[in-house]
Amino acid sequence: LDYKTLPRPLDGDVEPSSFVETYPMNCDPRYLRLTTSAIPNSQSLVSRWHLPLGAVVCPLAEAPEGEEVPVINFASTGIIRCRRCRTYVNPHVTFTDAGRKWRCNICSLLNDVPGEYFANLDATGRRIDLDQRPELTKGSVEFVAPTEYMVRPPMPPLYFFLIDVSISAVRSGMIEVVAQTIRSCLDELPGFPRTQIGFITFDSTIHFYNMKSSLTQPQMMVVSDLDDIFVPLPDDLLVNLSESRNVVETFLDSLPSMFQDNVNVESAFGPALKAAFMVMSQLGGKLLIFQNTLPSLGVGRLKLRGDDLRVYGTDKEHTLRLPEDPFYKQMAADLTKYQIGVNIYAFSDKYTDVASLGTLAKYTGGQVYYYPNFQSGIHGEKLRHELARDLTRETAWEAVMRIRCGKGIRFTSYHGNFMLRSTDLLALPAVDCDKAYAMQLSLEETLLTTQTVYFQVALLYTASCGERRIRVHTAAAPVVTDLGEMYRQADTGAIVSLFCRLAIEKTLTNKLEDARNSLQLRIVKALREYRNLYAVQHRLGARMIYPESLKFLCLYGLALCKSVPLRGGYADAQLDERCAAGFTMMALPVKKLLNILYPSLIRVDEFLLKPSAQADDLKTIVKRLPLIAESLDSRGLYIYDDGFRFVIWFGRMLSPDIARNLLGADFAAELSKVALSEHDNEMSRRLMAVLKKLRESDRSYYQLSYLVRQGEQPREGLLLLVNLLEDQMGGTSG
Amino acid sequence: MAEFMELEGQDGVRMAWNVVPGTKQEASNCVVPVSAIYTPIKPFPNMPVLPYAPLRCRNCRSVLNPFSIVDFAAKIWICPFCFQRNHFPPHYASISDENLPAELFPQYTTIEYQSPGEASSLPPVFMFVLDTSIIEEEMAFLKSSLSQAIGLLPDNSLVGLITFGTLVHVHELGFGAIPKTYVFKGSKDVSKDQLLEQMSFFLNKPKPTTGVIAGARDGLSSESIARFLLPASECEFALNSVLEELQKDPWPIPADQRATRCTSTALSVAASLLGACVPGSGARIMAFIGGPSTEGPGAIVSKNLSEPIRSHKDLDKDSAPHYHKAVKFYEALAKQLVHQGHVLDLFACALDQVGVAELKVAVERTGGLVVLAESFGHSVFKDSLRRVFQSEDKDLGISSNGIFEINCSKDIKVQGILGPCASLEKKGPLCSDTIVGQGSTSAWKMCGLDQATSLCLIFEIVKKDIPDSTVQSSGNQFYFQFLTYYQHSTGEMRLRVTTLSRRWVAGPGSIQDLIAGFDQEAAAVVMARFVSFKMEIEAEFDPIRWLDKALIHICSRFGDYQKDSPSSFSLSPRFSIFPQFMFHLRRSQFVQVFNNSPDETAYFRMILNRENVANSVVMIQPSLISYSFQSAPEPALLDVAAIAADRILLLDSYFTIVIFHGSTIAQWRKAGYHNQPEHQAFAQLLQAPRGDADAIIKERFPVPRLVICDQHGSQARFLLAKLNPSATYNSDGHHPGGDIIFTDDVSFEVFLDHLQRLAVQ
Ligand SMILES: [Zn+2]
Ligand SMILES: [Zn+2]
Repeated sequence: LDYKTLPRPLDGDVEPSSFVETYPMNCDPRYLRLTTSAIPNSQSLVSRWHLPLGAVVCPLAEAPEGEEVPVINFASTGIIRCRRCRTYVNPHVTFTDAGRKWRCNICSLLNDVPGEYFANLDATGRRIDLDQRPELTKGSVEFVAPTEYMVRPPMPPLYFFLIDVSISAVRSGMIEVVAQTIRSCLDELPGFPRTQIGFITFDSTIHFYNMKSSLTQPQMMVVSDLDDIFVPLPDDLLVNLSESRNVVETFLDSLPSMFQDNVNVESAFGPALKAAFMVMSQLGGKLLIFQNTLPSLGVGRLKLRGDDLRVYGTDKEHTLRLPEDPFYKQMAADLTKYQIGVNIYAFSDKYTDVASLGTLAKYTGGQVYYYPNFQSGIHGEKLRHELARDLTRETAWEAVMRIRCGKGIRFTSYHGNFMLRSTDLLALPAVDCDKAYAMQLSLEETLLTTQTVYFQVALLYTASCGERRIRVHTAAAPVVTDLGEMYRQADTGAIVSLFCRLAIEKTLTNKLEDARNSLQLRIVKALREYRNLYAVQHRLGARMIYPESLKFLCLYGLALCKSVPLRGGYADAQLDERCAAGFTMMALPVKKLLNILYPSLIRVDEFLLKPSAQADDLKTIVKRLPLIAESLDSRGLYIYDDGFRFVIWFGRMLSPDIARNLLGADFAAELSKVALSEHDNEMSRRLMAVLKKLRESDRSYYQLSYLVRQGEQPREGLLLLVNLLEDQMGGTSG
Repeated sequence: MAEFMELEGQDGVRMAWNVVPGTKQEASNCVVPVSAIYTPIKPFPNMPVLPYAPLRCRNCRSVLNPFSIVDFAAKIWICPFCFQRNHFPPHYASISDENLPAELFPQYTTIEYQSPGEASSLPPVFMFVLDTSIIEEEMAFLKSSLSQAIGLLPDNSLVGLITFGTLVHVHELGFGAIPKTYVFKGSKDVSKDQLLEQMSFFLNKPKPTTGVIAGARDGLSSESIARFLLPASECEFALNSVLEELQKDPWPIPADQRATRCTSTALSVAASLLGACVPGSGARIMAFIGGPSTEGPGAIVSKNLSEPIRSHKDLDKDSAPHYHKAVKFYEALAKQLVHQGHVLDLFACALDQVGVAELKVAVERTGGLVVLAESFGHSVFKDSLRRVFQSEDKDLGISSNGIFEINCSKDIKVQGILGPCASLEKKGPLCSDTIVGQGSTSAWKMCGLDQATSLCLIFEIVKKDIPDSTVQSSGNQFYFQFLTYYQHSTGEMRLRVTTLSRRWVAGPGSIQDLIAGFDQEAAAVVMARFVSFKMEIEAEFDPIRWLDKALIHICSRFGDYQKDSPSSFSLSPRFSIFPQFMFHLRRSQFVQVFNNSPDETAYFRMILNRENVANSVVMIQPSLISYSFQSAPEPALLDVAAIAADRILLLDSYFTIVIFHGSTIAQWRKAGYHNQPEHQAFAQLLQAPRGDADAIIKERFPVPRLVICDQHGSQARFLLAKLNPSATYNSDGHHPGGDIIFTDDVSFEVFLDHLQRLAVQ
C-alpha cells in the first residue's frame, strides 16, 4: 500500500452535507456527527461494517454569528416532554387530534398537548404557530429550565486556582505569567456580578488566602499538618469577584514577588488538592491546577517512573499510562460529585506523572495543558493565551448530558473526559465549546423496522448568567438495509474521532503496538468488505477501492498511528508528553483532531513578496501541501501548523533578504535561540498577520512559533521531519 | 515597727521573727514560722553595683560579705556560713582596715555585681498571644490598647504575634508581602518538633539528627527566627497593619454554645516557638484572653452553654470535669517555660471566668504578671498594660531570667518558697524534708521578676538542744545569704547579694527577746500566704479553725494574763494588732473564697504571693481614710461606725479603691454645690479623696479598680463588705452612721472576747 498515491485531506475537515440535506431540521453537524448517517437495520450489517458505529457530540460548539441556538422560555407551561421516554419536544414530533395530541418521534407515545401550548393545525396537519415555535423547526434549541431541574439554586461561575509555588515553579516564571493572565482576565470572566474566585498556593505547605472584601490586602494562612488538612476560615477563601476585586488584584500583583525567594523543593500536591476541594465543595466550579513538580509529600505523592525502557513491549507497559495511586481517581470522583471540574496545567522539565495528574481532568470533564520545560520567556505567550481562553470562554456549569435514541438501538459506550453517572448520564461539572464526546451504538434487536431513527442530545446546565438551561440537539437518520449505503454515508471525521478515542483507551490496557494493530486491522477489514461488495461486478483485480466518503480514512489511520499517544515505543515520545496528548485528544472536537492528525503545511515566501497581498487573501494565494519532504523547496519559507504550534521552516537557499526582514539582527543566529517578533518592515508585518490569521481560525489552543533552518539537526528532524507523516513509518508496521 | 521598715529599706527583707527562736521546739511553739518576705530586686538608690565578679567561699560558694571575718595581715577571710578560711586573690592585695572593698562595708549588706564579661545585651522578647473569640467591641478595645503598647516597646525588643480562637494563627511578621500566618488546629496539641517542621524551619539546611533544637546556636538559622520575631523598630508597621485588619474569630457559634477558644493550644504553640527561637533569653508570652477556654487540653468548660463554668463549690466537691486535666496541662507548660526561662503574663478580661485558676500555676511559676478585668475597655486593663511598658517615673523594673539561691547557717533549713518562682531541684543539706510551696531545693528559677516581686521564704530551725553554757552567750547569730542572678531591664546580667544576720535565742528567758523581734505585719502576711497555700493543697482543710487555733496559741504564749481571767489579758504593742489582722484575714477574699469565683481567688492569691508586706497588709486589712470639714483627712477604723452622712471615706482594699460619699455629701454633690464659687471648700473636700486615690492608682500594679459611690447606693457594697460589722441587723443599739451590715459574721469585739477567753485557759 503506497500512501503517496492516496488522496490527501488538504482541505481539512469537510462536514458531510448529505445529513443536513435529507433532514433539514436536523441540528448542525458541528454539534452532532454520526459515523455514518445510514443506520443499519440489522446486526449482520453492523458486523460487516467493521468501523465504529456511533456519534461525536460537541454540545456547546461555537456557532457563527447569526446561527446561535435560540433560547426558549416555556415559563408556566413547563417544558414539553414525552411522558414515557422524556424526549424533549422537537421538530420531528407530529401533532394529531386537531392539535390536542402529539406523538413522540422516539417512542411513538401519544402525549396530550397542555392547554397553554395548544395551537390549531392547518390543512397539512402542521401547527399554525410554527413560525413562532423554534423548538418545532430547529434541530438545536435551548430551554430555560424551571426549578424542577434544580437540586439547589443555580451556582455562580466559580474559578479556583491551585498554584505550585515551589522553587521550580518560581524559576520557570510560570507564577508571574499565571498571575498576570488571571489579572488581565478579571473583567472577562463570565457571570459578572456573581462570579466567585479563590486561590491556594502550595509547596511543602498549603497556603490559603483570605480575600474578604473589607480587607485592604489579602491575608495568607499556612496550614502545614499534611496528614490533617483543614480549612482555616469558614468564609472568604472563595469570594465574590466584584466585591473583593481590590483584594484579588492586590493578591495577583504581589503573588510573583511573594515567592521569588522561595527555595522549597517539595510539592504537597495531594493535601493541597484536598484543601481546594474542601473550600470548593460548597459550590463546585472550575479548579485550575498549575503544577510544576512531581507531587512529593502527603497523600497522593508520586514516584519517578516511566524511565524504564524494559517495561515497554511487556504486559506491564500500559500501567505507566495509568494513575499510580488510586487517590487520583477517588479524588476525581469526589470532585465530580461536588460539581468541580479540573483543568491541569503541567510545566515540569522533569517527569511529573501526567498520567496520574491528568486523571483528575479526565474524570471531571476537564482538560490537560502541558508545557514541558516551561520557560516564561519562551512559552509565556502560549500559556497566556490558553489560560485566557480557558478563563473567558463561555462555560456551562454543573452540567449533565444524555443522548437518547429511538427504539431498537442503544448507546453502549461513551468516550471522552467525563464521569459516567448511572448507565447513560455524563456528569460534566464544567463544560465548554472546546469539548467533544464520542459514543458507540449497538442494535438491540435483530431487525429495525422503522424508516428513521432519531437522536436527541440534552445538556442540562447552569449558564454563567445564573439561568438553568437545557440545550437540546435533535437529528434524524435513515435506516438502511444496504451495506454500501452505510459506507457511502460514512463520515470519516466522526469515524477517526471515535477510532482515536478507542485506540487511546486501548493503550491504557494494552501495549501501544496492540492499539495500533487493532486500529489498522479494522480499517483493512472495512476496506476489504467494501471492495468485496464491488470487486465481482467491476472486476477490479487487486486495486484498492473505497467510497468517496472514506477516501481519507487510510491516511488518517496512518496519522493516528503516528500521533503522539500511539506512536512508536519508548524512545518516540516522553511518557508525560504521550499521556498529555492522550488526555487532550480524548476531548478534541472533530475538526481540531483532524488538524493535528494531518497538519497543514503552507509555503509563504511568495506571498510575503507579493506587492499588495492582504492576510485575508491567504486562503486564495497559498495552498496546503502534502506532508512529504518533496513539498519543501530549499528556496522557500514554510509554515507547518498542527493547531497547537507553528514550525516555521527556513529553506537553506531562502533569500537572505527575507530572513533579515523577518528575523532582524538575529537572521544568522542559531534559530533555537531566536524568538519571532515583529520587525519594522512590510514583510515581517505580513508574516505576523498571517500567523495571527491562522491562530484566529481556532482559538482553543495557541500556536507558538518554532523556527528552524533547513539542515539544522537534530532540531529540524524533531520539529518537522518526524511530522511529515507520509515519509516515515515511525515504528508502525504500515 | 519602724525599725523593721528600716531593715526593709536596707535589704528588702521583712522577717516575722527578727530574733530567731533558737531550737526546733522553740520555733514550733512560736506558731508563725521563721520566715522572710524578700524583695530580691527592690531598687536601692545608694546600693553600689560592683564592676567585678564576687569572691566566693571555696567550700560553700557563699559570697564575701560584711559578716565575714577578715584577717588583713594574712589576706584571709572566714566564711560566716561554714567557717572556711579563704585566701583573697592577688587583686585584693591592697585591702586593709582603711581600704575596704565595698562588699565588706558594714552598710552594704545588699550589693550588686555586674561582671564585665557577662555584659551581654540580650534584647527582651515579647510574644503577644491574642484571643479573637471576642465580640467586636472588645476586639476594638484590645487592638487600641495593644497598638499603644507597641508604640512603647523598646526599639531593640523582639516581637512576635499569635492570635487564636477556634484555630491558632502564628503571624510571620517578617514575611513582608502580605499578612501571613501559620495555622494550627485548636484541638490538637503540637509538639515543638512538629512545630519546627511545619513552620519550615529546616528548609535551607537539614534538621539536626539528635538533641534538643534550641535557638540559633543549635541549627536554626537567624533568618528563620527573624520570620517570627522581629525588632520592634522594624515591625511596628507590620504589626499595626495586622492588628488593624485583625478579624474576630470568624467561625459561627450556635446559639446554645460558647465560642470556641483554644487558649491552651495557643499558649503551647507560643511556648514551643520561643523555646525553639530564643531559649534562655528573657522572653515573655503576653496572653490577652477574653473568655473561657473551651477547646484543647486546657479547656475549662465545654462549649455547651448549659454546662456552667466551675465554681468553688464544684472544685470543693471535685465535680469540675475539666479542672484537673487543665491544671495538669498548665503544670507541664509551666515546666517547659521554666526550662526555657520564659514568662507567661496573663491579661484576663471578661465578664466570664477565663481559666485563671487553671493558668495560675504557669503564671506563678514563671513569675508572670497577671491582670484581671471585666473588659479590655476597662481602665484596670488599659492602664495596667500601659504601665508594663512605660519606662519613665513609674517603671515596674521588669527583669528576667532570674535564679535565686540561698545560703544559711547550718542549723537552719529551707522548707520552701511561697511566691512566683519555680524549684530548680537543687537538693542539698539546706533542704528541709518538710516542703512548703516550691521546696526541696536551694535554688529557684525566677523567669520573670520585677522591683516589687517578693518571695516568702519559710525556714526551719533544726537545732535540737542547746547546751546551757551557750544559751546566754550573746554572739549567737544566724546568717542568711540571698543570691539573685538576673537579667536587668537594661539587658545586663546582674548578681544581687543580700547577707543577713539575726540573733537567736533559746531557753526560758528568751520570750521577751522574741516579742521584741516580732514583726506582726510580716507575720500576718506570712500567715496569709501560708493559709492560702494550705487551702489549695490540703483537701478538707479548715482555714478558720487553723487560723483561730494559731492565734489562740500565739496569744496564750505571748500574751500577758492571769490564768482563766480573760479581763486580765493584754498584748505587747509588738503583738497588739496581730489579732485584728487575723480577724480581717478570716474575712478576706483569701479565706472566704465562696464569695468569689475560682478565677478571682486565683488572681487575688497570685497578687498576694508576689507583693511586699505593706501592700499585702492592705489586701488583708484595707485602709480607710475619712474626709470631713471638721478635720484634716485622718485614718478611720475599718468599722461600719466610720460611716457618717457628712463624711467622705476612701477605702483602699488594694484591688479596689472606694470613694464613698455620706448621704449629705452625696446630696450636695448632686445639687452641684461644688460648681458654685461660694462652695469652694466643698469642691476641695470632694477633690481630696480623688487626688489621694489617683496617687495610689499611679503607684500600683495591677492598676486597682476605682469605685465612686454614695451611701445607700448599690455600689456601696464594695465598702460595706470590708467593714467590721460592729452594727449588724443582729445587734441592737444605735447605729452611728445609720448603716448596718447584713451579715452573720461576728464583729471584731465579739471575736476578741472569744479570743481572750480561750487564750487564758
Ligand atoms: Zn417518547
Ligand atoms: Zn563557706
